Amino acid sequence: MAVDAPERPTAVRADIARADSRTKIFNRVCAGVLIAFALIWLIPIAWALDTAFKPNEETTATRWLIDNPTFDAFGRVLRDTDILRWFGSSLIIATITALGVVIVASMAGFALSRMRFKYRNVVFWLVLAGIMIPGQVLIVPQFREMDSLGILNTFWAVSAPQIPTAIAVFIFKQFFDGLPRELDEVARVDGAGFWRIYRGVIMPLSRPAISAVVIFAFVQSWNDLLWPLLVLSNPDIMTIPVGLATVQGSFGIRYADVMASAVLGAIPLVAVFLLFQKNIVEGIAGTGLKG
Amino acid sequence: MSTTETAVRPRSGTSESGPVSKPKSNGLPAFGFLAPFLVLYLAFIIGPGLYGLLMSFFDTSLVQPGLGTFAGFGNYAEAFQSSDFWAGLWHTVWFTILTTPPLIILAFVFALLADRAKHGRWFFRLAFFMPYILPSAVVALIWIFLYTPELGLLDTGLAKLGMTAPNWLGDPNWAMPSLAITTIWWTLGFNFVLYLAGLQDIPRDLYEASAMDGATPWQQIWKITVPLLGRTTTLVVVLQVIASLKVFDQMYIMTQGGPNFATRSVLQYIYDEGFTNFRTGYAAAASMLFFVVILAVSAVWFGIVRRQQKEA
Amino acid sequence: MSSHLAWFRRQRHSLAMTSYLSRRALLRGVVGLGAGATLAGCSTPVLSGLGTGGDAAGSLAYWNLFGGGDGVRMTQMIDAYRAANPAIDLKAVTLAWGNPYYTKLSLATLGGKPPDMAVAHLTRAKTLVAADLLEELTTEDLAGVGISPDQLDQTAWKAGLVDGKAYAVPLDTHPFVMFYNTDICEKAGLLDSSGALTPLDSPEKFTEALRKAKEVTKAYGGVVAITADTSTPWRMFQSWYGQLGGEVLADEGRQVVIDDAKATQVLSFMQSLTTQGLVPPTLDYAGSVAAFATGQAGFYFQGEWEISTFQTAKTPFSMTLFPNLYGGGKYAVQADSHTLVIPKQHRPDPERKKRALGLIKSFLDQSKTWAEGGHVPAWLPFRDSAEFKALTPQSNYAAAAEGAVYDPDGWYSGSGSNFEIVTGSNIATVLNGQQQPAVALAQMRSALTNLARTASPI
Repeated sequence: MAVDAPERPTAVRADIARADSRTKIFNRVCAGVLIAFALIWLIPIAWALDTAFKPNEETTATRWLIDNPTFDAFGRVLRDTDILRWFGSSLIIATITALGVVIVASMAGFALSRMRFKYRNVVFWLVLAGIMIPGQVLIVPQFREMDSLGILNTFWAVSAPQIPTAIAVFIFKQFFDGLPRELDEVARVDGAGFWRIYRGVIMPLSRPAISAVVIFAFVQSWNDLLWPLLVLSNPDIMTIPVGLATVQGSFGIRYADVMASAVLGAIPLVAVFLLFQKNIVEGIAGTGLKG
Repeated sequence: MSTTETAVRPRSGTSESGPVSKPKSNGLPAFGFLAPFLVLYLAFIIGPGLYGLLMSFFDTSLVQPGLGTFAGFGNYAEAFQSSDFWAGLWHTVWFTILTTPPLIILAFVFALLADRAKHGRWFFRLAFFMPYILPSAVVALIWIFLYTPELGLLDTGLAKLGMTAPNWLGDPNWAMPSLAITTIWWTLGFNFVLYLAGLQDIPRDLYEASAMDGATPWQQIWKITVPLLGRTTTLVVVLQVIASLKVFDQMYIMTQGGPNFATRSVLQYIYDEGFTNFRTGYAAAASMLFFVVILAVSAVWFGIVRRQQKEA
Repeated sequence: MSSHLAWFRRQRHSLAMTSYLSRRALLRGVVGLGAGATLAGCSTPVLSGLGTGGDAAGSLAYWNLFGGGDGVRMTQMIDAYRAANPAIDLKAVTLAWGNPYYTKLSLATLGGKPPDMAVAHLTRAKTLVAADLLEELTTEDLAGVGISPDQLDQTAWKAGLVDGKAYAVPLDTHPFVMFYNTDICEKAGLLDSSGALTPLDSPEKFTEALRKAKEVTKAYGGVVAITADTSTPWRMFQSWYGQLGGEVLADEGRQVVIDDAKATQVLSFMQSLTTQGLVPPTLDYAGSVAAFATGQAGFYFQGEWEISTFQTAKTPFSMTLFPNLYGGGKYAVQADSHTLVIPKQHRPDPERKKRALGLIKSFLDQSKTWAEGGHVPAWLPFRDSAEFKALTPQSNYAAAAEGAVYDPDGWYSGSGSNFEIVTGSNIATVLNGQQQPAVALAQMRSALTNLARTASPI
């Protein structure tokens, strides 16, 4: 084929245009597939919500349409179960845990990042070893420990083993290592001790690490089942997951009530999630910590 | 809180990066800063760990004070010979096999697709990630309802398509796949988010340059995206495997380990022996064996990360 | 190095992002949520969770494991107690049935926060006693609220004693029974002139009756829960095996004494029912209930508690003793009893114990409500009354209480226990044709031997 020189640019342009339109189509198909999957992913939650707004009698007919939408199921769950108390317990435990983790781990992380002392490496490896120990393998001795301390059925027993989280120390140490040392130097010249450097210089600059750890510890603690299941056997002070998993509330096959209790159990964290969606997602992706 | 998994970004020389300014030791204040953590850590992690190890050599009972009679390696021998322990381990591994590949492949594909989307990323994040923050009990209640024989949404939905649904949670062969489906729905968002973050770290100009060279989107995925996400994938795989090995909640709530023990995970076996049958010493021994399995997986991961670091 | 670049980029990104989420905003949110939850809940449990508050005076905590119809009737009884004792704040909690319930009860008692009174199956109560988790109930304790041991069903009362001491007050006996569809049985010619089922007292007669019922229903003769159910196959087996005089465990569960000949005889017969197509091999609990309720089967075998399901479904049915195929003059049927127990408190309080005993008495006094749910009442002043005799079909099978065979003693035995799971799951494989009786029996024996050899933790 004889191709004249001046024609060349147009051919290239056409090529690019063709490639562009191909990419466009490809992107459209991608988007379509993804939307389809996202909708599938939403079905269970949507169905739970849908059912929760039905009267119990309508739940056996499996359809989305509700003839008589009602809040009754929510009313019954709030009245007949301790779910509000469970909210309270979950909130207190998760708050104690999250604050505890941040305080304790950031201090340890600060020492490891900023201070020089004997056995520093020993401590560092001890912490590193802690990352390898899954809490689940300790439930048996921990239960006996809490028993002999006489603190079973208290919030402390739930939080205590969750506070010394080795990975949080690691996250803080790593974050602090990334902060310029000149900052401490300036403070030190001004006569600040370690506590003031930690409290006044480092911590205020560490909001990303703090919020990541807070979010993570809070979500973990809120959703934990196994340990609080063992420790909290008094229905008055159970957490949401434990309460929902063990107390039947004699609902039986009253599906609207069951789904209403599921929806209520999900609301607090989902609300927090919707408010801070971006932060939570980034925090979790950043720390990559998971139970 | 579980403490094994970490996505701490490997930085070379982390542990060596000591203070630069003064060579003076800060021993006392340093231990002041470390004390709160170390005290709790020794009291509630290391202490119980050693106590558990000790207990595993005794016939300790939950309802009797003290360690009980010395059993030597009896508990370990029993666990090795117990078909229930091995069954629990196998169920756990089976669950891991069923959940890990879909959780990684689907999460990767979804993240890839979402990364190309110009609009509505918040929507995808919402759809895929929201289930992850639901408590296991809520997830279980919803899915037990979806799996209800005949009346459930899945059964009626499949019936409309002319298919007969299996007895999801009631059939020993289907119970584990059903739990796996629930788990995939529940936790996919976590891997999705990790992959999205990994994708955002890939420089855009790489794609632009390759597009100039006439690469198709398909080629870009295989030649650029997949290789550059290698490290994320290692991380995701290990986190996933370890999380799956520690599975408990779904079985405990949805099937109680049944039908006919077909879904009892090793962790639930430990729970049953230790707290339902009061056999604390034996449960401690089983915990130790389980710990060894998890350590082995973590060690493999460390090995891989090391190698990747060297290559990088 | 690219990894470092990525890390720093992430940090910068995160720094920017925190401007949305100041620590203060997060705190505000948390505090707001907290205020809401605390206001809504009561503060006593919060204090107790923090380890400072005690139980409110005048309260009474009661745990049970009743769902379905039993749950409804238990709620009625609780309401009646509340109405009669307005000064006492009765807190009733229903927990998930089976092992999880007993685990929770044990852990709560160990942890010093047990309920003041709880329901326990008789067979499980004995394990709790062995673990030293239950209060002894002396004759004086019981007399204090007007209960005398001879007013209680003697089979259940004696079965519950440990070394001659009482720890549990039986509320009922709940035997395995036979439900039959009266319309179908009439069409099949199985009813006598008075409308009662003609006795099915041999394997041949029983099989024949199922066959005739199947001809009428065109579906099944009888139905029983097999798939995903371990208790039901065990109950069915144990009833017939018990009629043959067979035992499974001896010496507090330390020995397995299965009689192979007798067990094989029963298992083969059970399998013959499904291989002949008289009983469907794959129904689960709900499926078997639905099949009987909708008239697809003439017979249904289960504990008597399903009575309310079929009453609600308006199924034309009646109930009678589970057939005595092998016992001849001596009837036997698998059963357990719901008993009422008082868990040990770390700090026993005579006042609370007295209140708990009062609740026990109140439940016994409401035996009529409880019997409506199908259970054979253990409280003889009611069971011997004309009122109960007039209550049908319950009074048809009241004799089952005397022939009750409880699960054998052993720390791993009892309703919903490992023992039932091990035996029931193997029996189920015989019923659904997966395994031959001999194979299942061998597996059952080996699994039980493992349990028997294990040193008892209590």
